Parts: sequence; structure tokens; C-alpha cells
Amino acid sequence: MSTPIDLSTLDAPRIRAAIAAGEFTAREAAQAGLERIEALDGAVHAFNQVTPDLAFAAADRIDALVAGGAGADELPPLAGVPVAFKDNMNLIGTNTTCSSRILENYQSVYDCTAVARMLDAGAVPLGKLNMDEFAFGSSTENSAFGPTHNPWDTDRVPGGSSGGSAAAVSAGMAAITLGSDTGGSIRQPGALCGVVAMKPTYGRVSRYGCVAFASSLDQIGPFSKTVEETALALNAICGKDSMDATSVTRPAEDFTEGLNDGVKGMRIAIVRDMLEMEGVAPEVKASTLAMAEKYAAMGAEVGEVDLPSAQYGLSAYYIIGPAEASSNLARFDGIRYGHRVKDAEDVIDLYMRSRAEGFGPESIRRIMLGTYALSAGYYDAYYGQAQKARTIIIRDFERAFADYDVLLTPTTPTTAFKIGEKSADPLSMYLSDIYTIPVNLAGICGLSIPVGLGADSGLPIGLQLMGTHFAESTILRAARALEADLKFDTTPPVVRNLGA
Amino acid sequence: MSKDRLLEVLERWEPVIGLEIHTELTSTRTKMFCGCEVAFGGEPNTRVCPVCLGMPGALPVPNQYAIEQTVLAGLATECTIAPHSLFHRKQYFYPDMPKDYQISQYDQPFCEDGQILVEVDGGGVAQRLDVADGTGVTPAEDGSYTARIGITRIHLEEDTGKMVHVGGSEGRLAGATKSLVDFNRAGTPLIELVSEPDIRTPEEARRFAQKLRLIWLSLGISDCSMEEGSMRVDGNISLRKRGTVEFGVKAEVKNMNSFKSLHDALVYEILRQAELLDSGGTVVQETRHWDVGAKRTSALRSKEAAHDYRYFPEPDMTPFEFSEEFIDGIRQRLPELPDAKKIRFMATWGLPVHDATVLTSDLEMAEFFEAAVTIGGAERAKPIANLMLNDLAAHLNAAGISVTASKVVPAMVDELVALVEEGTISGKQAKDVFTEMAETGDAPGAIVEIRGLKQVSDTGAIEAVVDRIIAENPDKVEGYRSGRTGLMGFFVGQVMREMGGQANPAVVNEVLGRRLSS
Amino acid sequence: MALSESEVRHVAMLARLALSETQVETLRVELNSILGHIDTIQQLDLADVPPTAHAIPVVNETRPDVPRPGLSREAALLNAPEKEAGAFLIPQMTGGGDES
Ligand SMILES: [Mg+2]
Ligand SMILES: [Zn+2]
Repeated sequence: MSTPIDLSTLDAPRIRAAIAAGEFTAREAAQAGLERIEALDGAVHAFNQVTPDLAFAAADRIDALVAGGAGADELPPLAGVPVAFKDNMNLIGTNTTCSSRILENYQSVYDCTAVARMLDAGAVPLGKLNMDEFAFGSSTENSAFGPTHNPWDTDRVPGGSSGGSAAAVSAGMAAITLGSDTGGSIRQPGALCGVVAMKPTYGRVSRYGCVAFASSLDQIGPFSKTVEETALALNAICGKDSMDATSVTRPAEDFTEGLNDGVKGMRIAIVRDMLEMEGVAPEVKASTLAMAEKYAAMGAEVGEVDLPSAQYGLSAYYIIGPAEASSNLARFDGIRYGHRVKDAEDVIDLYMRSRAEGFGPESIRRIMLGTYALSAGYYDAYYGQAQKARTIIIRDFERAFADYDVLLTPTTPTTAFKIGEKSADPLSMYLSDIYTIPVNLAGICGLSIPVGLGADSGLPIGLQLMGTHFAESTILRAARALEADLKFDTTPPVVRNLGA
Repeated sequence: MSKDRLLEVLERWEPVIGLEIHTELTSTRTKMFCGCEVAFGGEPNTRVCPVCLGMPGALPVPNQYAIEQTVLAGLATECTIAPHSLFHRKQYFYPDMPKDYQISQYDQPFCEDGQILVEVDGGGVAQRLDVADGTGVTPAEDGSYTARIGITRIHLEEDTGKMVHVGGSEGRLAGATKSLVDFNRAGTPLIELVSEPDIRTPEEARRFAQKLRLIWLSLGISDCSMEEGSMRVDGNISLRKRGTVEFGVKAEVKNMNSFKSLHDALVYEILRQAELLDSGGTVVQETRHWDVGAKRTSALRSKEAAHDYRYFPEPDMTPFEFSEEFIDGIRQRLPELPDAKKIRFMATWGLPVHDATVLTSDLEMAEFFEAAVTIGGAERAKPIANLMLNDLAAHLNAAGISVTASKVVPAMVDELVALVEEGTISGKQAKDVFTEMAETGDAPGAIVEIRGLKQVSDTGAIEAVVDRIIAENPDKVEGYRSGRTGLMGFFVGQVMREMGGQANPAVVNEVLGRRLSS
Repeated sequence: MALSESEVRHVAMLARLALSETQVETLRVELNSILGHIDTIQQLDLADVPPTAHAIPVVNETRPDVPRPGLSREAALLNAPEKEAGAFLIPQMTGGGDES
């Protein structure tokens, strides 16, 4: 290697271009990524597993293309780009643990569609990323393998459940990562770690191979430092998959197209009643209002809307999510895979103790809550009522999107909190997703973009942009306009200190 | 359990029976929610994938053809096809069920509210005490009756895997110390038909299941093998005092692996429940297992008292909306159903109801018959039917084979009937020819030729023999002429023996009659 | 709706979770606290509102009846805690489970 490659200064298009131009090889880029993980992940703990063999094999395929004469136009769109995946996504050659004891030694026997599509696009897999166990949580503290630390302040959480995915990008250990978002698990950690993070419209991305939390809410999406990389990742992972009946058939779209067209004439609204919710930090509220003003200054038509039903989102979510999860997690029974007690008397004993030992406290809490909500006599009061609440939330969004293209809220009520600060009180943790949950319930798309450091906290603040079903291009364009205007430095202290 | 005891019990107690019949759609190439092939047997866990093993992250995608086959089943049983329907998850833990929930249907199944007609004849009629009233059933002149059995619903679901229990006897659960699980069957499309509790006798239950099997076979949706478990019948049965309407407490009976088991298990349950009730006891609502060896049902042990399946709409799938066009398109695929075929056999071929019923109760026999009469024409329909219902049926039964597996083909049957009709051979000779034909597969004409079986219809030759017999038996002739006409049989026998059985019986009768009366 | 200790135990049985005494009590308190918040949804009058199972109104998603390769037996059994003769090995059953 002639010069050490600093991946933190290179985005995906530049890595690809440099490899195409022969400035460095894909193998060297993979090596640089792995070295960076080596240097930083002790402090961050974003990775559950690092996969040098898979990385080099993928990199060598790209280098072989270059050696065979492939130029910038022939290389796949994410050629040589170091990526990593949340540890609930299957990839042959890795363990898929969901950060749970129950799957600690589970080896993938097939590939998650979104992961396979990233690799087909030339990406180089560096490893699997830490998460809240089975994606239950908002801090990545619920990992059986220890918490991930926020690169902006390692005493603080990175958010969750895709905390490893957010922290890895923030610390420049991968250019693009994938996470999954059921109630905010991409956008919330994206906001807390100061990176771009997107939950696509439900059905845009196949869920096949991503261990299910709540089937009607889950969606895979990317993390990156730039809006353009998010668009490139979406190009790779979106599209109908015959293995997922809920993935939708749409005309092919290039999400990078029109990215720089600006917001002139775009109709953008602040969701006023949500902004006024209890528990929002003043610095967060102020920044959201400031961003609305910026949009107005950039030529957007800026207004205000209310989403009165959104306040019921949290309740609906904490019924639907656990109910579906309790069902989806039944399969972890110690019969075909996963943790099994050694001395079971009979099958029921095997089930009961293997599951009780294998699942962590938050998983048990959600399974219990969901089982109760579906149990005889309670279905109508809980699951049925929550599905109806979902309807009125959707209607609120439909009304708002009749008048506006993009809706704005903060991504999270506060910036990153301290590790341990909320772990004693599950409910206070649940409240950190109040802004993101309604988006999943309505199945629309949402994106978090870093808009600066809090005046009080000094930590990244995320702005959530919401678009109607399949309006990814619109919110990407709006996000790109803000990104270009703000020029937010995404480099966290843990990386700056590394250089020093 | 004597027959008399049953009839005695039925005087006082009226059974109320409903059936739940699971049938694997063995006609689909792939499983219900994944691309694994549907087949029977094979090395364990060789037709599996992440989906049917319930691997983390795998998702089900429904098989379009299986859905169409279910709609076809619904149309064939006069069900209403739901315009809106969906899959639900039915949740309970069991090692042969990979996801620990079964994808099934709940309150919005594909098919609802159908019926089939069940004919009962023969000895089973006696079990139904109210035939004469004509209130519950439609009696026929020949003593048989037809009962209308309602169908509550037909829904589509996935089958489970299979377990082999090790350590007990013969793979049974009792006494087993461990079990082996094979998921080859897991995910096979399975339709569940639930009947209304309209069935009143064990014989009706058997006929219902047989009729349903015949309909399914006509549709080609399943091989309906009860042996291989592709058709499985469970029954709910309760008793009520004859003349009352309130249902009693029911027991569910499982593991009835043949139509005979179904009948016998229900008879056993009727006697068991009647004994309980007669002695002032009560029936416990429970699931009971038919032990075909011991000929009794016994309660299944259950660690968990009450089930709570926590049904909810399957979130991994979209709902279904069936348009009229779609349903009509499936309706176009309906083949001729057994009832229609029977009526057509009577109308087109002039068969009596019994012949038509028996021939159409076996698809291969019906097809065989039609092939034979197509060659021979309608006028030979009755003799062809006779030959099939007697000689052919007896042969198949003795050989334990189906008609398609036998060496007898429709053209041979028609040819044999023609040989008799033309007088080339006698009916008695035909029996021998059939036996040889069934054994060798040789054409009847060739057999007649080779064995020189030609019937003698030459009047002169027969007259010569007749005259000799008359001359040798003057006393018998005297007897006949004095009114003992029964002696005709003696003369016919003598002539036939003399002629090696090859004389045309009609000509023999004619000549004898003429000579003896002169 | 408050959850009693015996209900917690019943739900744990349905979910096949062997909980300790302490866990039962902790969960009773935690679940009731969460339910206390969630119950706000019951104040909504939604009698005339249809339920939404999926936010994207798509219907009739199926696949053609065409075989596709599955897993090798080795892959199928790769993660089996115990296996024998190509099958998943489990301890004795104790009755129950009689569905299909
Ligand atoms: Mg069933
Ligand atoms: Zn399969």
C-alpha cells in the first residue's frame, strides 16, 4: 500500500472512482476499513463480527474486474465500497445473532435479499453490526454482547436498535451500513450519531432474510454520511423480491436523479402539534424551527400542519410491535437451531427453559406484552384497537400530504443520552421514538439528516423528513438541499482523537 | 360392540356428527409457501428450505396454484367463494411445526357454506331410524336414502412435519424417550374442510368421507391416500336424546386412518357415550385417539388444558380479493362431478341406478366403462356393466389391484361381450375366457380360437345328440311328458356334457323343447 | 386493565417462558406500567374505523407453483442442537399438541 487510505474522507462514489482509476485497489480499501475497525471498535463496539475473508473475496472480485480493464463506467455502482450489516441480516459465512444469546452461535444458511443486492452492487462486507437484541430498544444497550458507544461521546448511547450501524458509519468504519427500522431503529440512531439514515416506504425493500421483529412495520434502510450515498444504497436494495410477498412492484427509479434540484416550490410543513409534545429538548425544537426557516429561504413553500392522531402512535406501536414480535419469536424454540438447555425433561421443559435462558430481559418483556395483547379476550381491546388507531394515523398523514410534499419533525426529542440513564425504566426508553413511530405505522418513508450540534448538549441533532408512500426521491432531494447548505461536519471526536 | 347393541342405543340416542377432513393438495408441484417440492417419503430433511424450516428471517409467499385448487374444491362442493379473504396465524408450540405457528385461515376462509349429497344403501340404512319420516333425508324406492350434509367452510393451510418416536413401540408416542423430526412434509398445502354437524350415523360419516374423496379425486387436487396421510379425517361426535334438538357434549376423535376406522370409531364412541349417559354420567369434552388394534378410543393426555391460539392476520402476506372473473375462470376448470356422471350414465347408457352408482364411485372404473361402451355402443352398455361389476370387480378385488393396473383393457371387455352376444361362446364359456384374458392379457377372440371354444349352434349336430339322449333315457322322457317339467334341466345338462359345454344353450333348449313335446 | 400475577404466569406459559418468581413479579410491575400508558388508546372511539393490517394496500401477492432449490440436508441441520439419522433430535414429548 503506497499511502494509507483515510476512508473517513472518502464517500462511496469517490472510493469507486479511485479504484477504477487505479489510485488504490479494492483490497487496499478493504484493508483500510479493517484496520480502522481494529483501531476504533474497541472504543465504539459497533461490530459483533468482522469478516476479513468475505471482505477480501469481494474486494478481489472488484480488483479482477479492474485488472480485466473495467473502467469507471463498467464497475458496479458500489464497487469496492466498505459496508457492514446489522446483525439481524443473514449472510452465508457469518453468524446472525440478533445480539441475542439464543442465536449466539447461529450460522446463516442463506442470504438476506438486501444484503445480497448490496454485494451484487460491488460492496465489500466488513462485518455484522451490534444492535438491541432482536431490535428491541432505542440505545443498543439491550445487546447480549455489550452496548455500542456513541462516537460523539463514548459515555453515551448511539441510539438503537441499529446502534452499531449508525456508529460504524459515524466512526468511518464503513461507508454505508444497513439497519432495520420498525419504530425508528434506523432514524433515531442516525440522529444520535450525526449521520444520514433512511427508512424507505414499507415494501420498497425486501425483508427476506432480515430476522423479523414486527412484520407489518419492519423495513431495511441505509446509513451513510452523505445523502448521495443513501440514494446509491437505495438504488441497490429497492425493488420487488419474489421471496417477500409484502415487497411491492414499482417502476425502477434512480434515486440519485434530481438529487441536486433543490427545494424551490417544494411544499414543506412543520408538524406543529408534534413539535409541541412534552419532553422535547429546547435545542432540538429550536433547530427544527431553524431548518424550516432555511427551507423557506431556499425557496420552499413552508407551512404548518397537525397530526392529531400521531399521539396515539406510541400506544398502537407498543401493541402491534410486541404482538407481531411475540409470534415471530416463537420459532426460537431450541428445536432446529439456537440455544437449547442440555438437561430437558421433555419438549415443553426444553421450550420453556431454553427460551427463558436465551432471551434477554427486553425480549421477554415484549414477548409477554405481545402474547398478552393477542390472548383470548384481549385481542379486540388491544390488537384490534391498535389496528384501528393505525387507520386514523394514516388518515392524518393523507390529509397532510394532500397539501405538503415533506413534513418535518425532530427525529428524536433529545440528543444522545448516557449509557444506563434510561435502562431502568422501559417506558422512558420507549418515549425516545415518539417522532419516528407514526411513520412506520403509516408505512411512509422517513429520513433523518444531521443538522448540527445542540447548543446545550454539543451533540448531533437530527431532523426527520417524512414523505408519503414511495416519495423517497422527494425527501432525498429536500435532505440534499439542506446538506449542501449546512455542510455539517460528520466527523465525531472519537475519529478526530484518533488522528491526534 | 354388536350391531344389535348399536341399534338398541340408537333407539334412545341420536348421534350428532361433524367431520373435519384435512387433504394435502398433492397436485401442486411445490409447497404452500416455498418452492420445495411436494412428495411423499424420501430421506428426512431433503425437501426443505429456510422458509419451511422456519429459519430466522425467512418469509412465506403463497402458492397461487394451491389457492386456485382450493377455490376449485369450494366450487365443487357448492361453497360460496369469499370475495375478501386472508391468512391468519394460529399459534401453538409443537416440534413438527417449524415456526411454532401455523399459517391457516380463521374468520375469512376462501370457501364457505357448501353441501354435498350422500347416498346410503344396503346394511347402513338401518342406522338411520328416521328414513321413513322423510324429514331429514330423501328416501328412494329401493330402500336407500340421500342425506344432504352442509359444509361450513374449506380453508387452506400448511401441513406440519413428521415425527418418529424412538424408544417406545413401533414409533408410537407412548413410552418413547426421544423423537426425530423430519420437515419434508412441512409446508405441504393442506385444505381443511369442516362439515356442519349434519351427520347422524357412522355409515353416513363413512359415505360422506368416501364421497368427498371421490370429488377430490375427480378434481385431481390430491391423491387422497389415507394410508400415506394425504387425507385425514377427524370427527366430532355427541349424543342427544332422540326427539330433542339441544346438542350434547362432544368428543373429538382422531387417528382414523381408513373409512372402516372412521365408521368403527364412531360406533365405538356412540356406545361409549351412551353408556356414560345411561348410567347418569357426563361426556367430557376432549380429544380421543382411535386405536385400530384395540378397537377403542382413548383420551389424549394434554399438559396444557385450554388452547389459546392467539389468531391474528398473517402480517407477512397481503389479503386476497377474488373477482367474479377469477372465480368464473376457476369454475371453467370444473370437471364432471360424480353426481352428474352418475345421472349421465343412467341417461346416456340406460344403466340402472345401482350400476351407475357403483361404476361412478371409482373414477378409473367409470373411465374404463366409457371407453368400452364407446367401442361397443349403447346397446352393449348393460352387458358391459354386468361384466365389469361381476367378473372384472371380482378379479380386481382378488388381485388387489386397480383397473388401470390390470391386463384387462376396455376393448377386451367389449370383445368378450360381443362374442357372447353373437352366440360364438356361451355365458359360461365367457367366464373362463375372462379368467384367462385377465391372466394373460390375450384378446378374447384369440383365446376362443386357440382353445377351440367355439359354441356349437348347428341345429343338426345338436339334434343328433338330443335324439341319442332321449333314446337312452325313456323313463325320464316319460316323466317329463307326464308333467315333471323340472327334468328339462337334466336333459340340458346331459346335452351340454356330451358336447363339451360348447353347445349354444338357446339352441339346445329349443331343440329339446321341440323333441320332448312331440 | 391490570395484569395479575396468575395472568403473568398464564401468559408466560402461552409464550413458553420459564420465569423465576422474581421475574414474574418484575414483569407484573413493568407490564402494568406499560399497559397503563398503552391503555390511552382505549379512550378512542374507533367503532366505525376499519383496522389496518398493512399500510400499503396491495392484494393477491402470490408466487407461481414452480420449484426452486432448497437447502442441502447438511445446511438444514447445520445449526441443529442435536441431530440423528438426518433428522432433528428432540427429547420425549409428553402429549398435548394434536392439531393439524
Ligand atoms: Mg387445520
Ligand atoms: Zn421449503
